[in-house]
Amino acid sequence: MPPAIHPVDLIQVLRNKQLTPAIVFFTSRRACDEAIDSFEHRHVPIPPKRMAAIKKVLEPIIKEYPSIAHHPFIPIVEQYGVAAHHAGHLPSWKIAIEELMRKGCLDAVFATTTLAAGVDFPARTVVITQSSVRKAKDFMELTVSEIQQLAGRGGRRGKDFVGFVVITPSPYIDIGHIAKGLTGNPEPIDSQFVTSYPMVLNLLKAHTIDHIQPILEKSFAQFQLNQRSNTFETKLDGIDQELTNYGQRECADWITQWQSFELAKRRRSHRFVKIPHETAEVNARLSFLTPGRVVALSREKAIVLRQYRSRGQAHAMLTVLRSRGRIVEYPAGSVTEVVDQVIDLVEIKSFPWCNAASLDHAIQMLEELPTRVRPLPIRVVEDSSEEDSAEENSVLTETLNDEFPCPACPSRHACRKDHAPALRLRQEGHRLTKTIHTLRTELWHRFQQHIEVLQKFGYLTPNCQLTSDGEWARHIRINHSLLITELIRMEAFDGIEPALLTGVLASIAIDDDRPGSYPRRSSGLGSVLKQVRTVAHSLEAYEDPPLLRSDIAAVAEVWVADQNLPWSKLIRMTSMAEGDIYRLLARTLEYLSQVYSLKATHPSLAEVAVNAMDLMRRDVLEELP
Amino acid sequence: MTNMTHDELSRLLYAQPIRLLHRLAKGQVPRFFRMGKHRIIQTLLDFPPNHRARLVADLEAMIQEGPPPKPSAKRPARLKAQEAPPKAKAPTPPTHRAIDHPLEPATSIEELLEGIGVPIAKIFKPDPWQEEAIAQLATNDVIVSVPTGSGKTYVAIEAMRRAIEADQTVIYTSPLKALSNTKLTEFSQIFGADQVGILTGDRRYNPQAPILIMTTEILRNLLYDAAGGEIDLRIDTLGLVILDESQFIADPERGVVWEETIIFCPSQSRLLLLSASIGNPDEIADWITSIRTVPCHLIHHRNRSVPLRAAYLDPSGTLSPLFRTKDITHGKGFTVHPETKRLFTDYEHQTTGPRYRR
Repeated sequence: MPPAIHPVDLIQVLRNKQLTPAIVFFTSRRACDEAIDSFEHRHVPIPPKRMAAIKKVLEPIIKEYPSIAHHPFIPIVEQYGVAAHHAGHLPSWKIAIEELMRKGCLDAVFATTTLAAGVDFPARTVVITQSSVRKAKDFMELTVSEIQQLAGRGGRRGKDFVGFVVITPSPYIDIGHIAKGLTGNPEPIDSQFVTSYPMVLNLLKAHTIDHIQPILEKSFAQFQLNQRSNTFETKLDGIDQELTNYGQRECADWITQWQSFELAKRRRSHRFVKIPHETAEVNARLSFLTPGRVVALSREKAIVLRQYRSRGQAHAMLTVLRSRGRIVEYPAGSVTEVVDQVIDLVEIKSFPWCNAASLDHAIQMLEELPTRVRPLPIRVVEDSSEEDSAEENSVLTETLNDEFPCPACPSRHACRKDHAPALRLRQEGHRLTKTIHTLRTELWHRFQQHIEVLQKFGYLTPNCQLTSDGEWARHIRINHSLLITELIRMEAFDGIEPALLTGVLASIAIDDDRPGSYPRRSSGLGSVLKQVRTVAHSLEAYEDPPLLRSDIAAVAEVWVADQNLPWSKLIRMTSMAEGDIYRLLARTLEYLSQVYSLKATHPSLAEVAVNAMDLMRRDVLEELP
Repeated sequence: MTNMTHDELSRLLYAQPIRLLHRLAKGQVPRFFRMGKHRIIQTLLDFPPNHRARLVADLEAMIQEGPPPKPSAKRPARLKAQEAPPKAKAPTPPTHRAIDHPLEPATSIEELLEGIGVPIAKIFKPDPWQEEAIAQLATNDVIVSVPTGSGKTYVAIEAMRRAIEADQTVIYTSPLKALSNTKLTEFSQIFGADQVGILTGDRRYNPQAPILIMTTEILRNLLYDAAGGEIDLRIDTLGLVILDESQFIADPERGVVWEETIIFCPSQSRLLLLSASIGNPDEIADWITSIRTVPCHLIHHRNRSVPLRAAYLDPSGTLSPLFRTKDITHGKGFTVHPETKRLFTDYEHQTTGPRYRR
């Protein structure tokens, strides 16, 4: 099976089922043109009666737009009743095809999806052969709106009872995607508001800086941002409500208060080690196991020499003096009883942890201990409030008591419990407040950034009024306006030839990166473009530099420079499609007319621009308004 | 009854519960338990005619026999031993439910293609929504978001006619120069060449005409100039601004121009936004209402004046319906026609076979 149906067979099937006229959408311009060519190869002409009808319709159009009189596709259109319609063709050719289609003379038009919005003619049937489309170098899936826009061309009001969408597979198709697109809801659209330098200048010309913000707030962008921030605000209200649910505490800002208390505690807690692994009983005893304390081990009695913790050991350790002068290490847990007797020891910092005299004294005292001793009653705080006991470590409380009311506060238990979730809520609230603020002021902020740049370059005064440069610069309302106004201020265009100016503006106007072959550029254009490139590079931080292709510029330059050059010759000098050349020249004309609008302040430059415009307007460019 | 037609049999099969179909398919359709009701029926219907008679006989026997006995009684007994048997499944729906909502048989290609033809020209009568749009435009701004080709231009032309009668200027903008040119021809034929002018970046034709066609950028520039103090007479008498293809507001590069135009549009002139189907026209209407002096009326529907049907054309030249239903349904999901599904699966299978792999 072939990967896609042959265009001739496709039209044949549609003819047989009475589904013509049809618009066939293809991925590329080339596919459209090749489809037309294939009709010539197969040679399946339409009846002579229809050929005559097509000729009759074409005649007045050719009279109006002589540029298409010798169009290579005319014989094919007349013989086979099919045509291609895409951006590579001249506007006048497209008008002719549209007219033929409206009169119902054609069986099929092969078009590219990229121009779906620009196609203003319906047909009985729309043929979709792809589910993705080339957008800015990448293949993207067609959106639901786009699919419906394509499909919507099917069925002519007043000429059809019913319209058709025919899906035919090609390597670029996902039939499920198209089915979804045909039945689904179109995507919501989002604002694409961008601030530009001409916008800033023109707004500041008409309004003072204080009035700008209200104007920006009228934008659809701000409307959508506000809606988003409204949902955030409802969320914020919910958080506030939850926070008030915690109720009144002793201090107004209890979350902060408790947080700083916790921080202080954490900062000091290393001095009062909380022993995690000991039982409550051992913990209770630890504060009594000081040097000199008599304790009972499982078999005998001993005197504590020191209490210590060593790294890697979970338990508090004791160094004790046992009978016959043995000095032994024990975990604190091995103490069975604490005796109500303390022997005076003079502590030293190294083994045996007390001086010799007190060691001797201790050995002696140990020997002399009675067999029955009075154990020290120790109150064990129950485990349930283990944290409590650690928190209310008496020493800790004492030291922090001076700075914080918390340890003695009646609501401290509630604070301890609620602190973590409340803090999280409050942080969330702060984040939302910040987001809302950004959403509300984003546009204004961006506007201000543009103001700063314009002030830096001297188009605006520090109090945001237009300088004399700003007054004329606001008339340049095209892409890369900063580059163009800077070039004019640098007098880069002084004494320039009309052809050169055309070339430079063409290279700024067109951001097409398609490779191809182009006419040779003049040396003058090369050196001017080099200058322009340096300027564009220096402005990179403030404005995206254009591609500044000298080869494309050369096409526009040669059209102005060589007045005897006919259109047919120009299109043979380059691999650019006819429609693309037309668009290049039309856009350059627009740029030139913007330069011409500076006639009050830059009369000589405007003179050159208007000259260039006159030189450009001939042949095909003269045909359409 | 054995000489039942294909359609009758299909309808009868669809009316049966799936249980019965499983019993019917047992031993005849391999792996029937993995298929849905629909596929089982399709497979059964594809049987050769001699098998078909037997199938019909079996089916009738089963229908008379009634539902099969419930599966063995042992299991409930074991469940009873426990104190409270957990209800794992909802009670099974009544077996005859399928008869109440029979799955309609898929449409056929003949059915899909019927009704092609050219309607007899009759006196044009505007749709209610078109009249509503024009009436609303007398006092309000209007945004029209309807499917392509359902007659937005009629609204524009009627609105223009009324504005001209009231001695006002109309500005009509389109996103593309090519469309401007088409509209120039179209409007000139309706209103006369002297009534229509066009403004482009570098040229002006008949700029004092009551109807001015331009791209949206040009209008934005005019509004800039008007705001900057360079009074343009046209802005003062401007009664109606029509923004065609206003879904361009979502264009990444040029969308801002539409926003600016709407923001700076003089308050005395009415705005008419014509747009293809978009997802949130109500949001745009709300926005325009919030910034303009008069409310913005939204006209939004999805009914096409000419119904649209979808078909699938296989590279072999076979045409089949794309969906099970004849017309394209909106917002209710879809089922691809079984025939199309088969054809497309075959196509994918063959084109992604080793011969086409590189």
